[in-house]
Amino acid sequence: IQDDHKLSTSELEEKYGTSTNKGLSSARAAEILARDGPNSLTPPKATPEIVKFLKQLVGGFSILLWIGAVFSWISFGIQLAQGAESAFDNLYLGVVLALVVILTGIFAYYQEAKSTNIMASFSKMIPQQALVIRDAEKKEVPADQLVVGDIVEIKGGDRIPADIRLIFTQGCKVDNSSLTGESEPQPRSCDFTHENPLETRNIAFYSTTCVEGTATGIVINTGDRTIIGRIASLASGVGNEKTPIAIEIEHFVYLVAGVAISVGVIFFIISISMRYKILDSIIFLIGIIVANVPEGLLATVTVSLSLTAKRMAKKNCLVKNLEAVETLGSTSIICSDKTGTLTQNRMTVAHLWFDNQIYSADTSEDQTTQPFDQSSPSWTALSKIVTLCNRAEFRPGQENLPIMKRVVVGDASETALLKFAEVILGDVMSIRARNKKVAEIPFNSTNKFQLSIHETDDPNDKRFLLVMKGAPERILERCSTIMINGKEEPLDSEKAEAFQTAYMELGGMGERVLGFCHLYLPENEFPDTYSFDTDSMNFPTSNLCFVGLLSMIDPPRSTVPDAVSKCRSAGIKVIMVTGDHPITAKAIAKSVGIISATSETVEDIAKRLNIPVEQVNRREATAAVVNGMELKDMSLQQLDEILCDHSEIVFARTSPQQKLIIVEGCQRQGAVVAVTGDGVNDSPALKKADIGIAMGIAGSDAAKNAADMVLLDDNFASIVTGVEEGRLIFDNLKKTIAYTLTKNIAELCPFLIYIIASIPMPIGTITILFIDLGTDIIPSVALAYEKAESDIMNRRPRNKRKDRLVNEQLAVYSYLQIGIMQSVGAFVTYFTLYAEQGFLPSTLLGVRVDWENNAINDFEDSYGQQWTKYQRTYLQWTGYTAFFVSITIQQVADLIIRKTRRNSIFQQGLFRNKVIWVGIFSQIGIALILTYGLGHVTALNFTPLRFQYWFVAVPFAILIWVYDEVRKLLIRRYPGSWWDKNMYY
Amino acid sequence: MATLNEKKTCSERMENFRRFVWNPETKLFMGRSLINWVWISLYYLAFYVVMSGLFALSIYSLMRTVNPYEPDYQDQLKSPGVTLRPDVYGDRGLQIYYNMSDNKTWEGLVTTLRTFLTAYTPAAQRLNINCTSDTYFIQDTFDGPNKTKLSCKFTSDMLQNCSGITDPTFGFPEGKPCFIIKMNRIIKFLPGNGTAPRVDCTYVGDESRPLEVDYYPVNGTFNLHYFPYYGKKAQPSYSNPLVAVKFLNITRNVELKIVCKIIGAGITFDNVHDPYEGKVEFKLKIED
Repeated sequence: IQDDHKLSTSELEEKYGTSTNKGLSSARAAEILARDGPNSLTPPKATPEIVKFLKQLVGGFSILLWIGAVFSWISFGIQLAQGAESAFDNLYLGVVLALVVILTGIFAYYQEAKSTNIMASFSKMIPQQALVIRDAEKKEVPADQLVVGDIVEIKGGDRIPADIRLIFTQGCKVDNSSLTGESEPQPRSCDFTHENPLETRNIAFYSTTCVEGTATGIVINTGDRTIIGRIASLASGVGNEKTPIAIEIEHFVYLVAGVAISVGVIFFIISISMRYKILDSIIFLIGIIVANVPEGLLATVTVSLSLTAKRMAKKNCLVKNLEAVETLGSTSIICSDKTGTLTQNRMTVAHLWFDNQIYSADTSEDQTTQPFDQSSPSWTALSKIVTLCNRAEFRPGQENLPIMKRVVVGDASETALLKFAEVILGDVMSIRARNKKVAEIPFNSTNKFQLSIHETDDPNDKRFLLVMKGAPERILERCSTIMINGKEEPLDSEKAEAFQTAYMELGGMGERVLGFCHLYLPENEFPDTYSFDTDSMNFPTSNLCFVGLLSMIDPPRSTVPDAVSKCRSAGIKVIMVTGDHPITAKAIAKSVGIISATSETVEDIAKRLNIPVEQVNRREATAAVVNGMELKDMSLQQLDEILCDHSEIVFARTSPQQKLIIVEGCQRQGAVVAVTGDGVNDSPALKKADIGIAMGIAGSDAAKNAADMVLLDDNFASIVTGVEEGRLIFDNLKKTIAYTLTKNIAELCPFLIYIIASIPMPIGTITILFIDLGTDIIPSVALAYEKAESDIMNRRPRNKRKDRLVNEQLAVYSYLQIGIMQSVGAFVTYFTLYAEQGFLPSTLLGVRVDWENNAINDFEDSYGQQWTKYQRTYLQWTGYTAFFVSITIQQVADLIIRKTRRNSIFQQGLFRNKVIWVGIFSQIGIALILTYGLGHVTALNFTPLRFQYWFVAVPFAILIWVYDEVRKLLIRRYPGSWWDKNMYY
Repeated sequence: MATLNEKKTCSERMENFRRFVWNPETKLFMGRSLINWVWISLYYLAFYVVMSGLFALSIYSLMRTVNPYEPDYQDQLKSPGVTLRPDVYGDRGLQIYYNMSDNKTWEGLVTTLRTFLTAYTPAAQRLNINCTSDTYFIQDTFDGPNKTKLSCKFTSDMLQNCSGITDPTFGFPEGKPCFIIKMNRIIKFLPGNGTAPRVDCTYVGDESRPLEVDYYPVNGTFNLHYFPYYGKKAQPSYSNPLVAVKFLNITRNVELKIVCKIIGAGITFDNVHDPYEGKVEFKLKIED
């Protein structure tokens, strides 16, 4: 980082070869522009769209399906060369498989394309025009033409066009919130105030906004070399790798692909050793692959996630990255901002002190009255000061809005006081009008008070009223009396003591305290013609009458304490990270429950035991408040220790950069970390976090872009709803996958039995695709709508290394138990159909070669009837249809049992999730259409089916349901037992 | 959104796998203790025994409900298929090519016919009765031995010139070959609605072109007394009636497409998907 802020103007002129009056010459500017390039952020090298698309075509199961397709085409080629009639079947199969891959690829690509690029908004932040002095005249030039050494002029409302060293300012304030997160506008001047260029006042940063005033400065950095440019490249440098759910899905893909390939290879070897032709073996292999791959599942997962995302958007969580939906569910630490997220982001009067007593004010979001005792005359006096000694005003035209929602011109404290007065007294503006202001000294940091002199609204009282507010100790210094119950009493040491106690108490609550005093100016000395001069101060500013204290705080949102306690029961640690003062931070943390009522920090223990802080056993303290300054000097181990030892942590006075360090620390603990942020400077932390959450209202575009999720209402409680949805979707995806995997066995077994027992093919490859991509899709999406079985917010976050989406129990139970039952049911239908049409089971065994022989057109069945090849093939297709229908019917049972993993269906309720019924009806409807509507399109291999065959598998469907109820019953009865361990997925 | 870096080297993966197979510390084999493996195996054994039992029970009750004499449905057998002997299949269906002067090219065809007709020797047909009536041979009772029904005799001599008795080479060397047409059996199928169905052979696509054919038996009919068929269990010795066709004016050295249809009520030959339903098409080429 440069030291331009330390240089004087002339040194700067020399360094950049410029002149503050004349600016650069156009020729010189063009030269530098050619050297440095335009003043804009370079977008990161984007992956070409076609590469992204191709990636989708080879990811996941696609490779397996491509292998299937290629094998199909190879066998088509071979068969065509041999002149076999059925060759084209393989061509079509290959085409269908390729189509499946391409379509799912397009779907996935479309989903990915929706998520946006972080750089998109950085480029949008560049101001269009900048006012620059070149060739000794002012010119408007496009901001991207600015070069180092240019002299630019800025006025209130402008975006700063580059990093600028200020050389002239007039009341200039900049909003650095997008960069540093500080919400208050920062004053800028020409003075070198801090070693750190980020902190010094004489530099204004690219992309921040000038709020008020004017300034002139020398451009010192442009484009990517600006501070924001460096952050942008840092943010894009933080790797954007796999989300937990992506890892889970990859794990699942490996598992299924592993099963597919090993079963495929085993049966390839078996079929070769059973003296099948190589070509036949390859065709079997294709069938096994197609049967094993849940073609529709990845699309289903995407749809389920986006449905949840939609649901979350309704609850004010806008999810940008679909997979973030689930990540939120596995979150174990939330690093939350304070201002605006935990709090209302609005100063509000919280306490009052007058008549030696502290009163509490209502700080809720929608206050309409204030309940404290307002009968004392002291309050009347105090309220008058509050009303009059205040420069804030409501924007006009908001009379119909509730007071708390009105927009105010003025700083945060004055706004709070204005609203407070408006709530209690009503129409403040007319009170002020009646008490005309005759003189005023605004607040400044040297005086630390604000003063104004008013005429009174009492026509009989011709005295002027001097009102003053400011830092309590400074106000008290100027007072000689204090008002108690409306009477002025001398300010003795006892009363001063009482003041101190109250001041400490309010300050200790993290509140910003203001003192108020007044003085009625004697009429004889100050007649109504008296001319007040605020520069010479020709009026008394001491020996005033102290009236009271008001303390303000940015109060917590009313929903937050509940949300924090929900997080606690859900095993999620909430860490507060704020730029605020530790005392304020701790007070808010206590009031929202981040630091619970009973827990103590090391300092608290030290204070209680009256021992030095160093002697306290750090492990005894459950809470910790860490100052940003301490954090700066800490080693990584020390940070790890703090994160490990304390369950309740508040980081105060932290810079957004330190947030990144905190996030990394949490991640070293193996936690899944969610981070909230709003400033540009938060982008790296948001990117680094497992899930970055940007604020929708206060957040900068860059933060929103770096984040995975945007909180539309900036409310912490919305995160907790998001967590709940995320956990639910994880459970429900388990159910979806279990549902989908089950029928793979019922699709696979036919091939295995076909190879081993040489029976006519029970189910066709195309038919399998119709199950995977037809009947099964809507039901598996419907499971995403399933309600939680128990209170998911009462268990710990899942351990990402142990609690897998697809675990051994899930796979084994689906494959080896329910899947087998389905296969048996489907085979019973198959054998029933063939038997009733003339082929008894005993005849079918070993019949394959003759059955498929085109040259046998008088094939004899069990009754002596003779069949042509086509008649047999048609029967085979009817067999496919029957097998298909049986799987569909049993999948209905499978769908119902998958509604719950532990509870009985009756506990869950059959009708609570209406979408399941949509799924069931769609499943049966699609099967009916395929069977009876498309039954005459021979290419699809469906035929109309006698109606009774729809019911053959029903007993097995019932069996599946009963078996699963028993399984769940035993799991509930004997938790922790062998059964529970092996049967609960 | 960040990351779980789970990248492992190959050796780590191998080590992890080895540890998974046998973990010496926890004494877990493939993630389970040995006793646990026993339990789980027993459970699955029991599970599969029960499932096999259920399957066997289902098949058993299926077998109890099916009729042993005739199938419940004949959905695919509305019209009988037709086959040809000799049957040599090429790339696109039946192809009978031979060279008159080269007996190696037709000896196989003749053998096929001869073998086929061994089922129609008087000895092979001795269990069947002589039928003379020209109507359907309806049997409502089991008149045969061992609860069977009677079947009518069909002997090869009924095929006269194509019986292989008078001409053991079935006319192949003369270029006037015999072919045997057989209609598939369908239980309780009554072809022809009272009139005997007959075979009619023509050139494909050009039905007006004269194809000189001798049909045996006369007119190329299937006598009605061979119908209906009552199934293998009721008529164990039933044999299909045959019609032989002898082509007399085959042009030499040209591939001819011939179709032999069975004409009779209830027999359809217009199913576009099934080339063998109610008809048989074949290519014939005789070289000299």
